[in-house]
Amino acid sequence: MSSKLIEVNGLTKVFRVGSLFSRVRLTAVDNVSFDIKDADIYTLAGESGSGKTTVSRIILGLLEASEGEILYKGKNIMNIKSEREKKEFRKDVQAIFQNPFETFNPLRTVENYLYETQKNFLGVDASDSIDGIEQALTAVGLTLDDVKEKYPSEFSGGQLQRISIARALITQPSLLIADEPVSMVDASLRMSIVNLFKELKDRYGLSVLYITHDLATAYYVSDKIAIMFRGNIVEKGSVEKVLDSPKHPYTKMLKESIAQPDPRDKWDSRVDLHLTEREEYMLKGCKFAGRCPHVMERCRTEEIPDFDIDGVTVKCLLYQ
Amino acid sequence: MSVLNTEGLKAYYIIDVLGEKRYVRAVDDVDLEIRENEIYGIAGESGCGKTTLIKTLFGMVEPPLNVMDGKVKYKMNAEYADIFAMDNKRMREIRWEYISYIPQGSMSVLNPVQKVRYSFEHFIKAHRRIRNKEEEFIKPVERHLQALGLPVQILDSYPHQLSGGMRQRVTVALATVLQPKIIIADEPTTALDVVMQRGVIQLLKDVQSSLKNTIIMVTHDMGIHANIADRIGIMYAGKMIEEASTEEIFGNPLHPYTQYLIGSLPKIGDKSYKTSAPGAPPSLINPPEGCRFYPRCDRATDECKAAIPKLVEIEPGHKAACFLYSGVKEDE
Ligand SMILES: Nc1ncnc2c1ncn2[C@@H]1O[C@H](COP(=O)(O)OP(=O)(O)OP(=O)(O)O)[C@@H](O)[C@H]1O
Ligand SMILES: Nc1ncnc2c1ncn2[C@@H]1O[C@H](COP(=O)(O)OP(=O)(O)OP(=O)(O)O)[C@@H](O)[C@H]1O
Ligand SMILES: [Mg+2]
Ligand SMILES: [Mg+2]
Repeated sequence: MSSKLIEVNGLTKVFRVGSLFSRVRLTAVDNVSFDIKDADIYTLAGESGSGKTTVSRIILGLLEASEGEILYKGKNIMNIKSEREKKEFRKDVQAIFQNPFETFNPLRTVENYLYETQKNFLGVDASDSIDGIEQALTAVGLTLDDVKEKYPSEFSGGQLQRISIARALITQPSLLIADEPVSMVDASLRMSIVNLFKELKDRYGLSVLYITHDLATAYYVSDKIAIMFRGNIVEKGSVEKVLDSPKHPYTKMLKESIAQPDPRDKWDSRVDLHLTEREEYMLKGCKFAGRCPHVMERCRTEEIPDFDIDGVTVKCLLYQ
Repeated sequence: MSVLNTEGLKAYYIIDVLGEKRYVRAVDDVDLEIRENEIYGIAGESGCGKTTLIKTLFGMVEPPLNVMDGKVKYKMNAEYADIFAMDNKRMREIRWEYISYIPQGSMSVLNPVQKVRYSFEHFIKAHRRIRNKEEEFIKPVERHLQALGLPVQILDSYPHQLSGGMRQRVTVALATVLQPKIIIADEPTTALDVVMQRGVIQLLKDVQSSLKNTIIMVTHDMGIHANIADRIGIMYAGKMIEEASTEEIFGNPLHPYTQYLIGSLPKIGDKSYKTSAPGAPPSLINPPEGCRFYPRCDRATDECKAAIPKLVEIEPGHKAACFLYSGVKEDE
């Protein structure tokens, strides 16, 4: 029996955007629920600007939710008050961000940054021990020599991303939140990073929230997947079920748009892209209605509930 | 016919470590011949020098980057002009008009605090004297956007009001508004969802087929290369180690590094274990002697440690730098 490590219930985030006089409410995350079990790799994929990063920032406590709750190991983390508990949570849930260049301070050596992480979270001085740092670097295929006295600008994006994973591993977390960790690295390194997630999961029972646009690595590495579109999770379930036979029309479109690494299998049609994301966010019923080949009148007016079918949850009236 | 070529191009970062000069050999002896009217894809390991190479092709060489040796030539008016022999004024003239560049993380091309219209205006005014704004600026820009299927209203938006995918397409439109002969794009679809990726690539392809120009594109996404590239060059540790038609690179990769790269690609429907190239990328400051890949290659022999294999034609149109196929060495 594997228990729930983190449970996200009815998470909603409303941003106010626009100028003072034409302020609009943008529901960037709309009633989102999912849970991640121990030793689970959970992918959050979907459209650019659909709220994936916002979800992860709320979990990390970097952003406040408008509604909903997040239970971590059974405890609602949104009302943690004590500093000690906050620190414990931050140690247990580590993050890797989209752009590794933003993770590091350009004026400090990468080496120092790793020492600092160890000091902040574990209270261990580099002069006492660097075993943990060396282990973390080894886990990503690097050595201390590779980073000694070096500044972030001396590394490429891919190299820096591996270092930021090593940094996250120093505290031996239970949950790793990885926001687009592979988008800047080559195909081979992508595999080494997702294989690393697999290994950490198998060996240490680490769970990973893997946010990505790369559906092929998502399929390869994850247990579960949720597909987001304009703030909603439109489909979620086991990665095989969702990606082998997608049900939601948006998931289908996503799958068809993947560029296959095979010149005999090129795109054979054109895509139509919508004007701005603002407009779709503002739609009442299904946000995909404007582009859906199966759209019905009800889709535009009714609130769309989730339907469970074949072990997959789909937000689409076709499955009523 | 080639439209751009390089001969023995070497571009190194010169950095100072505790008073000692070190050379990062990011582009190390690269010969290229980019053809007219083709889409040339460049792939390779993170940090192997792809961005450095295309920056150098664009003549954007600023310290600590230095061109140590070699030439970059553009074909202009039926002659080949060496760009490092041109003065700054000339270089400024031909940039964007003859060759344009969509940099990695290219949001920086658009001015973030101004409407998109301003970026276009600024861009065009730097190259053309505009007397009649309506005829020489507004109409051509609108025509260009329409031809690319972009709504004209975006001119009145601020960059942050556009989605990442739309912003990326606006950048493509901006980089092509002066109808350059060569477009260089560095990771133009990174961080976009696959539907938008497809939109951006579709746009680049539309531009290419209407202008009949050349696109040099760097991306890690091998699916994008498979979809639009005519030929692909594979870089490893500052060197071009294989070059062939897209069909050949995917169907018959020769260099062991390329084989790892192609062999490690996951696909939906296949959960079988995939390995990546073993070991770590080499240092570009102290690269391995001999073949840069030999420490990670399971077919390396003593010869590979002793000398650098030269990129030579192994089969018609298919080049590789590997002693498994040819004994030709780089002279060093
Ligand atoms: N601080 C903010 N203020 C206003 N709007 C915001 C803010 N942060 C995000 N948004 C908007 O919320 C929506 C969701 O953004 P988010 O970054 O979560 O998307 P994402 O799914 O991570 O996208 P991507 O795939 O491009 O990384 C977008 O429309 C974005 O513009
Ligand atoms: N300003 C700099 N100073 C010193 N070294 C640098 C500098 N910029 C890049 N490098 C180094 O030069 C090498 C090549 O970098 P480059 O950015 O060209 O790689 P890339 O192939 O584009 O990588 P990626 O796929 O990650 O974008 C890397 O090893 C990098 O660390
Ligand atoms: Mg994001
Ligand atoms: Mg690069």
